[in-house]
Amino acid sequence: MSDPTATRPLPRWLSYEQTNGPLPERTDVLVIGGGIAGTALAFYLARGGVDVALVERGELNREASGTNAGSFHIQLAIHQLPAAGSPTADTERLLEEARLNLAAYEVWNALDEELDVPLGVHLTGGWMVAETEEQLQVLHDKRVLERQAGIETEVVTGAELRRRAPFLAPDLAGASYCPQEGHANPLIAAPAYALRAHEHGATIRTHVAVQAIERRPGGGFRVTTSAGEIDAQRIVNCAGAWAGDQARLAGLRLPVRREGLHVNVTERRARLLDPMVQHIGRRLTLKQSSDDTFIIGGGWPTPAAPPPRRYPTTWESAAGNTAVALRVIPALADVRVVRTWSGVIVFTDDLSPVVGGSTLVPGYHACVASTGFTLSPLLARRLADQLLDPTGTPPFPPAYDPDRRMTAGRTTP
Amino acid sequence: MDREHHDVLVVGGGPAGLSAATVAARHGLDVALVEERVTLGGQVHKQPGPGIVVRDPAAMGREYREGRALIDAAEASGATIMTSTAVVAVEGDAVVLVPDGGRARTVRARRLVLAPGAHDRPVAFPGWTLPGVLTAGGMQTIVKAQRVLPGRRVVFAGAGPLALAFPAQLLGYGAGIRTVLEAGPPPRIGDLLRIAGAAPGNRHLLQDAVRYRAALLRERVPLRYRRIVVRAEGDGRVEQVTHAAVDADWRPIAGSEEREPADVLCLGYGFVPSIELLRLAGCDFDFDEQLGGYVVRRDDWLRTSRPHVLAAGDGTGVEGSVVAVAEGRIAGLGAALDLGAIDAATAEREAAPARRLRGRRQALTRALRRMHDVGPGVFELTTPETTVCRCESVTAARLAETIDGTRDINVVKALTRAGMGPCQGRSCQRQVAAMIARRHRQPLGAVELATPRMPVRPVPIGALADDAVTGRTLFMRQDGDADVPAGELADE
Repeated sequence: MSDPTATRPLPRWLSYEQTNGPLPERTDVLVIGGGIAGTALAFYLARGGVDVALVERGELNREASGTNAGSFHIQLAIHQLPAAGSPTADTERLLEEARLNLAAYEVWNALDEELDVPLGVHLTGGWMVAETEEQLQVLHDKRVLERQAGIETEVVTGAELRRRAPFLAPDLAGASYCPQEGHANPLIAAPAYALRAHEHGATIRTHVAVQAIERRPGGGFRVTTSAGEIDAQRIVNCAGAWAGDQARLAGLRLPVRREGLHVNVTERRARLLDPMVQHIGRRLTLKQSSDDTFIIGGGWPTPAAPPPRRYPTTWESAAGNTAVALRVIPALADVRVVRTWSGVIVFTDDLSPVVGGSTLVPGYHACVASTGFTLSPLLARRLADQLLDPTGTPPFPPAYDPDRRMTAGRTTP
Repeated sequence: MDREHHDVLVVGGGPAGLSAATVAARHGLDVALVEERVTLGGQVHKQPGPGIVVRDPAAMGREYREGRALIDAAEASGATIMTSTAVVAVEGDAVVLVPDGGRARTVRARRLVLAPGAHDRPVAFPGWTLPGVLTAGGMQTIVKAQRVLPGRRVVFAGAGPLALAFPAQLLGYGAGIRTVLEAGPPPRIGDLLRIAGAAPGNRHLLQDAVRYRAALLRERVPLRYRRIVVRAEGDGRVEQVTHAAVDADWRPIAGSEEREPADVLCLGYGFVPSIELLRLAGCDFDFDEQLGGYVVRRDDWLRTSRPHVLAAGDGTGVEGSVVAVAEGRIAGLGAALDLGAIDAATAEREAAPARRLRGRRQALTRALRRMHDVGPGVFELTTPETTVCRCESVTAARLAETIDGTRDINVVKALTRAGMGPCQGRSCQRQVAAMIARRHRQPLGAVELATPRMPVRPVPIGALADDAVTGRTLFMRQDGDADVPAGELADE
């Protein structure tokens, strides 16, 4: 597999001094959070001529945006399915999500050129395996939906599966294949957005924590930060896993919570597989990175820890996660895990992103999504369009409304 | 997962671990000791490897005999001893063990005594990754455990007490040492007086020092103070080394370079504590470069900031095997006291000799400080092309470019991969931290180390995977927050 980052050099990222200068006294849009959503939004706004300042309490790209495995999830996955298990129970939402994933991927495919930075975007295809006949049926069911949404998937079994994916355990019930899946380098996208945003005049500030938000009588906000006060006409909460805490400062409750995820990485090994491998019934996302290490995750939990501490990883998650990996790819038995890490993701109980303006707190916006790495370029661009031209741009669907009310894990109309 | 419980689990089979296990077991506690190597004894008391039978212990030297005595005592104490078993994770009172070739298992203990020892202070300079460049610890392993001499023309460069002791020992094994370079200054009258003042009870150490010096003189090995190696060169392996005079900060003085042929360059810039497990356990740290950098904070009974974790020996600050033995006893007694196996008066009485010994040795360490202060110049020898992280082949230039944008070592690690390889940053992290400190004008101790992550040793997936673990279901709303109203104005 060729890695474009190896042939085209990366630009020089922003220097420490460029991201640690004084805070401006006022800005039109204040973006809170320096992950991929915040940096993308700062870029699209600055490019559109908006006065924008971004504040990040730590370093850019250090939370979910930079700690995820960089996969584009296109085919429907285990975490999107309704608890009942069958995709047919929640058709409308799944169709909408499938279309959104596809649209996001199209933005990604043009992003390399848009930012003029090699982002390591690769189309590798992806397998979703089934161990049991019931799981195989789920693959068939979701394939119908995926086809409707324009996602190409096929279900492969038996000798053909063994021929096309010889690394998979021979006794799996089957697997679905999606040629549109792939990945990008999660360490590059947000710094690239930040660099280009800065070049378009955005102010990017790291090590600035938002501590209080006061609504000003004439509209707009006075924001108190660890680096002083800043007045902003509009605010966009791009704080990802910590978006709920941030919203509370403005008096809002967002329908979000956070979860720590455990990831394992192995030593480098001779190339075994290019496509991503997932499991429709158990928690597994696996791929061999361009460094030839295996990255094994898929939703195993970590305990929480207060910032600035990172969430710890646990032996139990490592043992459970690698057991699924070993069941699916037996050749991994003698491959050594050298490290684990944690990423903290934002999670919405109704599984929809939280994007757009609040009507409860006018001028306050959010741009938050669980699969933020895949979705943020698309969502940030659409939100920027709305902020640039509030009347001429179609609004986000009601399902994304930051003010939506949640009960028992599903939205109520 | 099977569950194995002990009163005390001691990690590390060196002098500190052995004496901690011995003392705790003698007081009736159920003690287990884990050592990742095949043999017990640690670095200084390293025992010959499997297959080597010792017929004449007297001929093996004092360090071997002292080590043997510690091992014999531990084996007789009733403690369960597991060698060839790596500790790869610590979570609360649980420790994950991986026996060589076996499956991982979790062991719980009411008290953990961590005695992980130390490793060579890594130093990077052009050519340091060439074959033939060895650390003192690595060379010691080769010579002591395998009885092999790795070269004919050895240049030894280092600092600290070992800079004399180790080459002298090597001479005893018949090694061809051409030059010994000591980065520190020659001893002055004042130093000698201070050492003499600290000497009662340390006399045999001074005698050793004199003996080492004499051995070098006898073999006409030039001993040159205030010089460090700045470069190693060769076609496929070391053929030539360049050394230079340095100032008090160990920064090379222009025009003082000398070249000399060598087939082995042995580096002994002191040791740094192996702190991975202590960091994983969540203990608090202080910074003291002379003790090896990041040193764990402890109380009188060597308890860390984590109440069930005690720590002893060179892994807590490098002070040598005598202090390690004393600390092992104190920690063993501290664990026995905490678990109610002895009363406070007994613990104090039994700890008194060890405390006195430890105090004396620490006085000597302080007396030696001026001579062996580690200068920052030793971390500034790289050129842009020099590989700093050898596991992931990351150059100083690549690191410098990244460090320009951040002072967070985690970001540097993520962007460059420095420290992501099998050694988990043990070789490069200090160098990277020094680069950050220099670029951002911070003291070295102010640079936070990368987030500690398990496993601290690589573990095969076959040994780690456990089908019995299912874990709680993620992505499902947990009981208890079902009624959190969303989409409403919050109260505050």
